[in-house]
Parts: sequence; C-alpha cells; structure tokens
Amino acid sequence: MGFQQVLFSFNLVFSIRFFEDFLLHDLYELAAFAERQANADRLKEGITVMLSLVEVKCRPWLNGMELLEDLQRNKHTLSSGDKGTDSLLQGGLREGQLTELVGPSSSGKTQFCMQAAASVAEKQDGSVFYIDTGNSFSARRIAQFICGSSDAAALRKRVLSRISCHTVYDIYTVFDTLQGLEVALKSQVKMNVNECRLRLLVVDSVSSLITPILGGSGSQGRALMVALGYLLKKLAHEHNIAVLVTNHTVGTGENGKTKPALGETWKSIPHVRLMLSRDHRNNNCTISILKHTSMPSGQTVRTMTRKDNQQCV
Amino acid sequence: MGEHEARGWIRCDETAKQMLSRVLGDRAFLLLPPLHRVPLRAGNVVEITGSSPTAKTQILIQAAITCILPKTWNGVHYGGLEKLVLFLDLDCRFDVLRLSDMLKHRLLEAYRIGNGAWWQLEESNVKTQDKSKIVYDEELYVSCMKRFLYLRCYDSLELLSTLKTLHYRIRPQEACGSQVGVLMIDSIGAFHWTDRLSSSLALDKNNRKSLSLTNVVETIVQEMKKLMQVHSLVVIATKATIYEEKYPTNENNGKLSSNNAMPGNASSKAQQPPFREFMPSSWQAFVTHKIFMRKSGDYQSSGQQSLSAYSLEWLQPQLSSIDRFIVDDSGIVIVS
Repeated sequence: MGFQQVLFSFNLVFSIRFFEDFLLHDLYELAAFAERQANADRLKEGITVMLSLVEVKCRPWLNGMELLEDLQRNKHTLSSGDKGTDSLLQGGLREGQLTELVGPSSSGKTQFCMQAAASVAEKQDGSVFYIDTGNSFSARRIAQFICGSSDAAALRKRVLSRISCHTVYDIYTVFDTLQGLEVALKSQVKMNVNECRLRLLVVDSVSSLITPILGGSGSQGRALMVALGYLLKKLAHEHNIAVLVTNHTVGTGENGKTKPALGETWKSIPHVRLMLSRDHRNNNCTISILKHTSMPSGQTVRTMTRKDNQQCV
Repeated sequence: MGEHEARGWIRCDETAKQMLSRVLGDRAFLLLPPLHRVPLRAGNVVEITGSSPTAKTQILIQAAITCILPKTWNGVHYGGLEKLVLFLDLDCRFDVLRLSDMLKHRLLEAYRIGNGAWWQLEESNVKTQDKSKIVYDEELYVSCMKRFLYLRCYDSLELLSTLKTLHYRIRPQEACGSQVGVLMIDSIGAFHWTDRLSSSLALDKNNRKSLSLTNVVETIVQEMKKLMQVHSLVVIATKATIYEEKYPTNENNGKLSSNNAMPGNASSKAQQPPFREFMPSSWQAFVTHKIFMRKSGDYQSSGQQSLSAYSLEWLQPQLSSIDRFIVDDSGIVIVS
C-alpha cells in the first residue's frame, strides 16, 4: 500500500489529512476504530505503514560514548584570535555551539566577530559565512587582523577569499539565506567536497533582525525568533559549525542597569553567552561569562583591542 | 500447577516484610542532592522551573549520573541504580563533556572513599595537578556512558515522533539487561511559541485534529502516560520561564523566604506561583512534583572568585525550607 493511498483512506475514515496529523492520534484508539470498519485489515496495515514512516523520520538514540566520539572527531574548538578569550573559553569557540556576544554599542562586538573570522580563515583553514545586518563589515579591518609574516599580499588574498559576507536587513531574508546555505552544505556532504570546510557562521547582529518583529502580544515575532535560533543551532550541530551572534543591551529602568536584549525566551537559545564591556578611558575590554554549558558563570578576562597587526602572536 | 501447590499459594500471603522488600526493590527511588528533600519514585513527574541559567540542566546531569552508576562494582560502593537514562534534548544545548567530567569525578570520589586508607596514605605525596592521573575504572566508565541515551528534537513533530516510537526503539537496549530508570526532558516549553503560532494558523475548523499547542501537549502527555504504564520510570522535565518576572514582590519574596519563618508568606505563595505559568492544563495535571529555581546572588567561596549561587524551592509538595547551592567543578554543592 502506497503512502498516498494510506493517507487517502485515513482522510475518509479518521479525518487525518496530513502525515503530521497522524502523530496527534492515539494508536490504540485508531486500531480499535479501524476494527469496526469494513476494510479493517487494510486500515490496520495502513497504521503499520504510517508507524514505520514515523520511525524512519526519527533520529537515532545515541549513547554517551557515541556522543563523546562525535564531539572528539567533529567538534573542535576554534581560536577567536585573542589569547585571553581562548583561555577563558578553554580553547575558543566550539563547533556545534552557538556563542552569543552581548554588549552595549561600541563595546567591541563587531571587532570580536571580525577578529574571529580572520583567525578561523587564516589559522584553521576554514571558510567563514558572515551575515552583516548593519553595514559594519570591513574587509580592511579584517586584513589588519591577519598576522602571517611571509608573503603578506598572497596570504591576505587567500584569507579574505575564504570569508563571504552577506548583507541582509530583515529576518525573512536571513531565513532564505540560511536555508540556501543548509541546502548547499547538504549537497557538499554528498559530493564530499572538503578542501575548505565552512567552520564559522557569524550573524552581526542578530538582535537588529529580531527586535523589529518583537513587541505586541502576538506570538508571531517570538515564534520567528525561536525558529531562527533553532535553525542556527541545527546548522551548527549537523554541519559542525561554530555560530557567533551578537546582541545589544537594553536598560532595565531601575538604577541604570542594563541587560541583554531579546528577553527571556532567547536566553534558552545560545550555548555560551559572553558579556562585553569597555572602559573608554584606557580602551580595556572586559569579557565575562554569563552562561556556559560546562563552566560556572561569572569568570572574566580583560583584553586590549588591537589597533593593528603588530601584537600578533 | 498441582492442587497442593495451588492451595499453598492461596493460603500463604506474603508477609509485610516480604511485600515491602518486593515493592521497594521494584521501585527504587532517587534521593539526590539538591532534590534530597523528597524521595522520587517510579511514576513521579518532576518539573523544575527557572529562568536560564539557573543550573536546571546541571540537576538533570547529576540525576542521570546517579541513575547510570551501578550500586557496587568490584567491591566499591557507588550507590547508583544501574538503569538507563533517556535524555530528550529539546533545547539542543546538552554538552556531553560535562556529563563525562561529572561522571569521572563521581567515579574517583567513590573510589577514594572506598579506599580511604590507601588514599590517605598517598594523599600527602600526590599534588593537586597529579590527581587527574589517578585512573578511574575505564570499563565501568564506558558501561555507565552507554546507559545514557540521548536524542535531540528541533520541533514538536520530532518530539511526537520520538515518543510514538520510543517504546519499540528502546527494546534492543533493554534486551541488554538494563531497564529505563529516568526519562528527562530539557526543556518542555522549548517549542511553546512556534506551537502557538501554528495553532493560530490552523484555519481548518472541521473535526480534524489540528497541530495546536493544546493538542500537541495533550498528545505528549498521553504518550508519556502510556510509556509509564509499561516502564517504571521517573520523569524529570525542566521548564525555562518564557516571561520576564514582573512581580515587584519578587525581591521581597526572596528575602522573606530566606528567613524560613513566614507562614503568611508561604500561604500566599501557594495561591500564586512565583512565575507565570504557560503550559496547558493537561501538562500541569500530569506533573506531580514542582520545583522552582532562582538565582540568589553570588557566593564567596574560600579565597577564590565568587560563584553564582542558586536557590531551590519545593512548590509541590510545598516545603518551607529553601536550599541554596553553588555549582563548581565537582558539581552541585549545598551551601545552606
């Protein structure tokens, strides 16, 4: 019995129209109901067909050792280009995870992103997918972060060719872009192209995409926000990409305190949340951990923003 | 069955002692800090509510470790249940490294206590950085990790498909000899907004069951009830709050309840939970135990940097005491 045929008879008998509807029904009830119908055998056969289809769609259960193996084989840490940050994060940005940078305007979020992009493209031989929502991407600035000593021009050309920047201004276009990326990555896996794997995905800034659609009492904005979060997490996990997004801060209204934007629901999205703050007198930048999957929160590190490539390590 | 045998079976009921040992053996319970105040038995559904981050997943990981550890191994007492853990990750944020590290820590700790005399002798020679070199039992570690089963879901439909087929698909694992002890869900409200959107999009008003929020949650509860009829398991689900706490009384609440002696306050809390409930009533009726977590300032550990402290409050059954704990490399440490 074919799937369409099953669905057709199910629609007539159980008023189940789509495959998804089947999931909402109690199997015992369906079987009992089928029993009373004239074509009981065929209907019960149909239930078995549907159930096997559900089973095919399911992800496999993995045990702890298999998870660990996947982590060690596929999920590496990528240097963010800054020694202090890397030691704070025990190696850097982890592939498969979504890292969020939170900070007020001009606290160094975009600088952090561009430095990480340069570092991944130069040292880890990975390509970078950079989504820029505020026209703040600067190839010249990225070139300053490249530190190789030999043959600077050729190296710069190679590094910059690995970073693709996509200027996007609204969340709908971002969904398009990311879904296109997903399709491209899937076909890449099939063709086994692996010379320069995508390793870092940057969204600077994710809050400027989401903030316009939030607000009001409707659930649509929040649903889109959650969907974007899950799409990013899915890309990160399935294709072993480190995802880096930025978020701004908003005032809480009480004694001048600030907190990350996007509210309570977004808190469940990132694996790692880092808070950036800058002391404008001495240009010191402080990074502290707000949330980490395997480290206690509250640890901090101080870094300096590099003006050029002279402090390279 | 012979007549004599049958008569003996009818006449001789088991003694209370026998029955107790049978019942207790059948439904071993979990008693683990910070959930040590109430013993959890098979059939219980525990809900841990709190905003992110309030160490909810950490509690799940510690409970999972207690479940996958054996009671004893090679003469060393580990105090576990030696059962399977099913971890449904809806947040998609689970870090297996954390589980692995905590498990290694527990193995070493149990080994140290089990070999107290040997350890005390050696301790003077062993410097802190050498501690990692002291080996744990690799075979035991692997067998424990294999009792931890993990699956991630990116939307409600995947969750429903998983629950529908779960009973069939864990059979091979169960055939290996271990039973399912705990089903964990992290976190149950993850798809709340997307499900709410799809319920508003359901235009079809016929007798067709649509994928609305209430229908989805109802089906989840139904499938879990069916599972619990077949397997004796504890369900532990976390629930991240999705609304900002707007109650101005929140801070007062924290202060008052830390005194532990405000009966008036406790009764007012019974009427109104300290967070805005968003799960449909079918889920709320399914839950048997409720816990509420919140951040409670920083805790200055001895000499080191300050760590975030969390407080845990039992809402159902309602207990007046509030546990405060911190999370460090060794896991959850109760501080007051």
